[in-house]
Amino acid sequence: MEKKKLLIVEDDAILQKSLEDFLSTEGFEVSCASDGEAGVEMAHTNKPDLILLDIVLPKKDGYEVLQEIKADEAVSHIPIVLLTNLGSVSDVEKALELGATTYLVKADYKLEEVTAKVKEILEIA
Amino acid sequence: MEQIKRRIIDEFNLRKQADDLGVKVWQTPSFMFIVMGLVIVAAMTGVDIISQYYDSPNVLIVSETLVVSILFIIGYFVIHSIESVAQANKMKSEFVAIASHQLKTPIAEMNWQTELLLSKFHEGLSEKQAEIVHEIVHSSSKMARLVNDLLDVARIDQGQLALTKDRVDMCTLVKDVVDSEMAFAKTAGVQVRNTCPAASFEVIGDRRRLSVALDNLISNAIKYTEKGGIVEVILEANGQELQICVRDNGVGIPRSEQVRIFQKFFRSNNSVKNKTDGTGLGLYIAKNIVEQSGGKLWFQSIEHAGSEFYFTLPLA
Repeated sequence: MEKKKLLIVEDDAILQKSLEDFLSTEGFEVSCASDGEAGVEMAHTNKPDLILLDIVLPKKDGYEVLQEIKADEAVSHIPIVLLTNLGSVSDVEKALELGATTYLVKADYKLEEVTAKVKEILEIA
Repeated sequence: MEQIKRRIIDEFNLRKQADDLGVKVWQTPSFMFIVMGLVIVAAMTGVDIISQYYDSPNVLIVSETLVVSILFIIGYFVIHSIESVAQANKMKSEFVAIASHQLKTPIAEMNWQTELLLSKFHEGLSEKQAEIVHEIVHSSSKMARLVNDLLDVARIDQGQLALTKDRVDMCTLVKDVVDSEMAFAKTAGVQVRNTCPAASFEVIGDRRRLSVALDNLISNAIKYTEKGGIVEVILEANGQELQICVRDNGVGIPRSEQVRIFQKFFRSNNSVKNKTDGTGLGLYIAKNIVEQSGGKLWFQSIEHAGSEFYFTLPLA
């Protein structure tokens, strides 16, 4: 089976690296972007199967990235999982309204659980 | 009677009120109302006296207008001081939210890196090294828990606690939470038992928050139970509701403290005696989570005999 492609858009280097290390040993092809603009660009060039997207990002925040991707037919089908440490009612509602598949609170989820969620979504999608 | 007396004294203890609310004495609402009352009495007397000497409606109108404007001015200050209290409270909640949020990133970094070390890159770690890493994981999860509690409290205060809607089997959840408390129970010398009469009890709720609520009740029960005691977690279907009871035969809650245990930061005197750690947030959070999930939380307790905490959740 061909490797599923993931795009991680996360500005915190340590979190990005941890995710990349973990997910690539789980058999995914992982690419990373460290700001919102690069994220949108790589969504187009790499055509990932799923995007893990942070909310607080330099240049363009996660909501803007989400909006741009969902508005563009070429990439709008890609499921997006928001990774955040926010998580108040308004943040969550906003993200889901904009078309995110789900959201995960980073400090509450283990890498293993993030991976499980990614696998779950990719099987459904 | 004693309570009424204390209530009245509290009402007039302006210095204490001012300290509690973080405003100056003259800004406390009680002080303003006293002044307002005095002005009304003085004004009525004044109008009465004036009307005896002057038989002119103009003078009455002017004096009444004067009184009304004074009342308006005082009213303005009352509202203003209440607003500044509300403002201070809001700022405090916002500060806690921002600070906790900032703390969560390094916690996530620590968690994920230790997890990586223990799962994908554990080769070459000696037993001792792995043990140390496990201790780090334990410490960091304690810190994560504390930060989550503070953040949840700030959100509850702002009406911003977002609960997810997962399909949760409470039998499994209870079992998981009890298992996670086993090590603590063992150190405390307390036995923990759980019984679930059905194969599953499904509810719709926030899995993580519900386990936090349950965990707070169970860890309290263990904390306040002496060596050799028993903590029982009993699930029971009651019509369309699931009722969960956490029962212990521990030190119980003194009657005088029973009205206050759901208050934020309240800690029982027993906790000082028993040297247990805690923030006094557990029950406040548990009650809010349960109520926001559509259930109720209550308790009964007899000092030196034990406590029973109950909560209900609508069955899916």
